[in-house]
This record gives sequence, C-alpha cells and structure tokens, in this order.
Amino acid sequence: MSGIGEARIKVPDQIKKGDLITVNSIISHPMDTGFFRTAEGAPIPAYFIRRVVVTYADREVARFEWTSGISKNPVVSFTLKTEQEAPLSMVWTDNHGAVYKQSINISFVST
Amino acid sequence: MTWPVRRPSFIGMESRRNFFRSCVGAAAGLIANRSERLLAATGLPAGPEDPEPPNEEVARILKELFGQRPIRRGHVDLDMPLVAEDGRVVPVIIESDLPMKADHYVKAVHLIVDHNPDAHLAAFHLTPDLGAVSLSTRIKMKRTTWVRAILETNTGEVWAGYTKVLVTLNGCG
Repeated sequence: MSGIGEARIKVPDQIKKGDLITVNSIISHPMDTGFFRTAEGAPIPAYFIRRVVVTYADREVARFEWTSGISKNPVVSFTLKTEQEAPLSMVWTDNHGAVYKQSINISFVST
Repeated sequence: MTWPVRRPSFIGMESRRNFFRSCVGAAAGLIANRSERLLAATGLPAGPEDPEPPNEEVARILKELFGQRPIRRGHVDLDMPLVAEDGRVVPVIIESDLPMKADHYVKAVHLIVDHNPDAHLAAFHLTPDLGAVSLSTRIKMKRTTWVRAILETNTGEVWAGYTKVLVTLNGCG
C-alpha cells in the first residue's frame, strides 16, 4: 500500500447465491490522532477516516463511524448475505472531507 | 533441480503440544487466582461482574447511547488478545448470535475503550442484509483497560461483551 486512499476489497473466489460471505477491506491512510509530534516537535494534526459506507445492489448495508482510534491503514471485515449479482462498493471519508471509493462485483459461479 | 527435503520428525509432537497446553492451563490458573485475590482485596464479589464506568466520560457516552435502558451481558463475543504488545495495532473481533432478520436485527455495535482519549472508538451501523454480526478490525489502545462491545437491536435491547486487555506499549501518544 502506498498512496493515501488506495483501497482494496476482497471477497471469496467462488460465491453461490445465498452464501454468507466475509468481505475484507483495507485502505491506506495514516490515521493520525493529533496527539503525536514529529521529531522536530511540530504537532501532527488529526487526520483519519471518520466514515465508511458499504453499498450492495444500490442499498446501504452498513455504515461505520470511526475515530482516530482505528489503527493506521484501517482494515475492516464484515459478513454479507449474497442474494443477487451486483456491485459491492465502499466509500471512505476522512476528516478533511476527502472521499475514497472502491467497488467489486459480486458474481455467482455457474453450477 | 530439487533440493532433498528433510521431513521434520513428528515423533514427540503430540506430547509437546500437550506440554504447551498444560503450560497455558497453568498460566490461566495463575491469572484466575490473581484476579480472584484482587477481587477479594477490593471487596467485589467474584465471578464475571460488569465493569463499572471508570470515569465521567464513559458514563456520559453510555448514557447518551443507551439512556436508562439496562445493558445486559450476553450475546456478544468480543475477541481480543489478553495482552497487546503493541498498543498501535490491537486486533478486535466482534461476533453475536443474535439474528439478522428483517424484523429483528442488530442495528448498531459500539466499541468503547475505557481509558482511550476517544473512548467511543467506533460505531458500526448494520442492516439485516449483512446476514450475521461478525466484524473485525484493528484498533489503538493507550493503556491497560476494559474494552466494551455493546450492541443494540432494532427492538431496543442492549447487549454487551467485555474484555480486559493488558497494553504494554502505548499506541495513542
């Protein structure tokens, strides 16, 4: 992970309709708390992801409200009931108002 | 070209595993004994009691989130390490056996770390589309403290899981 806001979403390779899958995600972000200083003594201002919105098939399925207490390069995983083939997208918003998006297509294996 | 692979000998593996197990058991026993003694010293009844809010801040957060509703222990599996070596990265897994049905589901999970500067660390708002409550992430911890995972159902019930984590390296500055 290099640039701030670079994000990845991972779902299982083979998904069947109705499966309960685990979605893993990671985004590159410093998550500065505002309590630290640089080696020169200058304060490092707070800079963190404060909201994550998860959308599946145009429906908001989850919304996370975070503080800078989440570790650097935040990971979050959650379950999802896959009822249809549709995009799963995540939108991360930081406290500077920057918005980072990533999405992945949920498609079923043909049986 | 392939290197000759030396198969590790598995003889004695079983007894080694048993040895580790007994060590872990002994350590757990020691810890349990100690906490019992601590409880005896502070006059609290032994057994899994709910941790009291340690300060005004946590009391205020709990009041704001749940008002007068009783916070009952149960239905929440909060999985964290007993000892966090690096307070900057402490894994958290929150699971629940409560249903995620359209008419009865867990609508929010609140993660509260008592002695962190921002005690109300995260709120996870969920919907039945998730199918289950199983969240994991990594958090920062300032020092040894109780961690509370408190979830709220759409019907207004409040369930909690608690765990105490020993932090050896401050992750909050």
